[in-house]
Amino acid sequence: MADNHNVLTLKGVHFSYNNNREILSDINFHLPKGELLGIIGPNGSGKTTLLKVISGILKPKKGEISLLNQNLNKLPIEQIAKFISVVPQDTWVTFNFKAKEVVFMGRLPYVSRLRGETLEDYQISREAMEKTHSLSLAENNIQEISGGERQRIFMAKALAQTPQLLLLDEFTSHLDLNYKYEMLNLLKRALKEEGLTIISVFHDLNLASIASHRLLLLNEGKIEKIGLPQEVLTEEMIQKAYGVRPILINHPRLKVPQVIM
Amino acid sequence: MGSNCYMEFSMNKPLVEIAGYTNWRKKLILMLLVGSLSILVVSLICLNFGVVPINPKDIISLLLNGTQDKTKNLIIWQLRAPRIVLGVITGAALSTVGGAFQGILRNPLADPYILGVSAGAALGACIGIALQHATGYLFASYLPLFAFIGAMFSLYLVYQSSKISYSANSTGLLLAGVAITFLFSALITILLAISRKELQSMVFWLMGDLSAANWKKISIITLPAIIGCLLLFFSSLDLNALSLGEEEALHLGINTGKLRIRIFLIGSIIIASVVSFTGLIGFVGLVIPHIARLLVGPDHRIMLPASAFLGGIFLILCDVLARTVIAPTEIPIGAITAIVGAPLFIYLLRRKNK
Repeated sequence: MADNHNVLTLKGVHFSYNNNREILSDINFHLPKGELLGIIGPNGSGKTTLLKVISGILKPKKGEISLLNQNLNKLPIEQIAKFISVVPQDTWVTFNFKAKEVVFMGRLPYVSRLRGETLEDYQISREAMEKTHSLSLAENNIQEISGGERQRIFMAKALAQTPQLLLLDEFTSHLDLNYKYEMLNLLKRALKEEGLTIISVFHDLNLASIASHRLLLLNEGKIEKIGLPQEVLTEEMIQKAYGVRPILINHPRLKVPQVIM
Repeated sequence: MGSNCYMEFSMNKPLVEIAGYTNWRKKLILMLLVGSLSILVVSLICLNFGVVPINPKDIISLLLNGTQDKTKNLIIWQLRAPRIVLGVITGAALSTVGGAFQGILRNPLADPYILGVSAGAALGACIGIALQHATGYLFASYLPLFAFIGAMFSLYLVYQSSKISYSANSTGLLLAGVAITFLFSALITILLAISRKELQSMVFWLMGDLSAANWKKISIITLPAIIGCLLLFFSSLDLNALSLGEEEALHLGINTGKLRIRIFLIGSIIIASVVSFTGLIGFVGLVIPHIARLLVGPDHRIMLPASAFLGGIFLILCDVLARTVIAPTEIPIGAITAIVGAPLFIYLLRRKNK
């Protein structure tokens, strides 16, 4: 079966809240190991909903999602948490934990509630902070660092969870240019060295084009197009989904399309 | 490469120092030692206060060797000691449950009475007091039973009415709690309005009162309080994760719906059983968890036990004030907790923000 190479497969997935208007209809795609898939689309096209359906928080009304050849919606959430981790858009923390304590929470799927954590859990948390260059933030209070710094801490937390599949919801939105580069490098390393597979929702089409192996363009809950950046970011597709006429140029070094106004 | 500057920064200090995770067990053991010792010392000090002066030397020799003086023996062992022990258990239970409720609701304003348990207990107790005066039967010893049944009844109502809507989150429970509290409070107001002689005992019950403490009561509530608080303690990591948000907790494999029901039920049952004997002591469960967080940080594994100790100490100190300030008249302890607690709380918040 070709399925063996796929971390994730969606077959005919539909989603709606309480039988109202369909938010996702007939979503089909599969994701081979080691790929970074970028999800793009205008506001309200269902990007975040799709991410929630993949992470198991929302259950599809129809269709099947398989994660590493297992039916995702039949797995208990404790089990899903060992395979999938998520970097959310909203990184506010109610109580003022230290950054390192937040990173450690990534280990919770593995920690026994009776016996508590082991040294290995601390070790993995620390490595996750090294990878995201956030070690220097470790002792800071999470409510007292900037939005961008919080996002790096949440990234470290997601890595500490040692997932197979990493989901990112517009994770670069609060990051300065230098950290965007930093994070893109980090993602590349994670794909190569740790065998991660990544799905990321992007707001920024140009960043999506640079970072992703393939792009998935959502429009009104349907897949408008899925394929290589140069297949998806075409004048025709963008006009269909966003209703504007863009100017497309080729990135001088990376040879991927870039959209300018 | 743009990453050089970060690398240099993190190499300034050795890694162990920067991201030093200290084993939480060490922190917990240290906290338990300090807490137990403080409770012991404060309890011994509190034994000295009361209407009848007994000097500290007598108390120490009485505790160590017993004494021939029957009156003193009675005052210490049957009046003051049970009152202190009941105060410690009550303060600890209120504060632990308050801390857990604030965690589960992600709301620092939550207190142990948020699900209407207080109103139910109060209505039960007031009905008991009214019946006693109307029929002449001595219901006094059954008062806790009345209160407990009232509390369980209101909890049941809240739980059932929350199921009708919003079953997926805590909003339904909170709204139902508010509604039932208003309903029961209205009934209590009517009872108070038509009562004459029994008014004072009702008001005293509503404000909380440790004066009727005895060993039998203590033996009844100790076990449920300890077991309940331990159960809450073992949900600490889940409560920690919940402060990242509902969805984040789900992503970490925590079934937040089940967790919420579990915490609410255990917490409310602890509170119902304690409050049935002591009346509604306010403010402790709201404020002590905040003070604990300021002192030991937000990790519930350390914060909940710290709240228990602080709550116990705070309540017995307030009780000393309640029975000595205008002795031999007693002030309801619920009034003291607020009068002492509110300024203390504001002071701590201000100091923290500096």
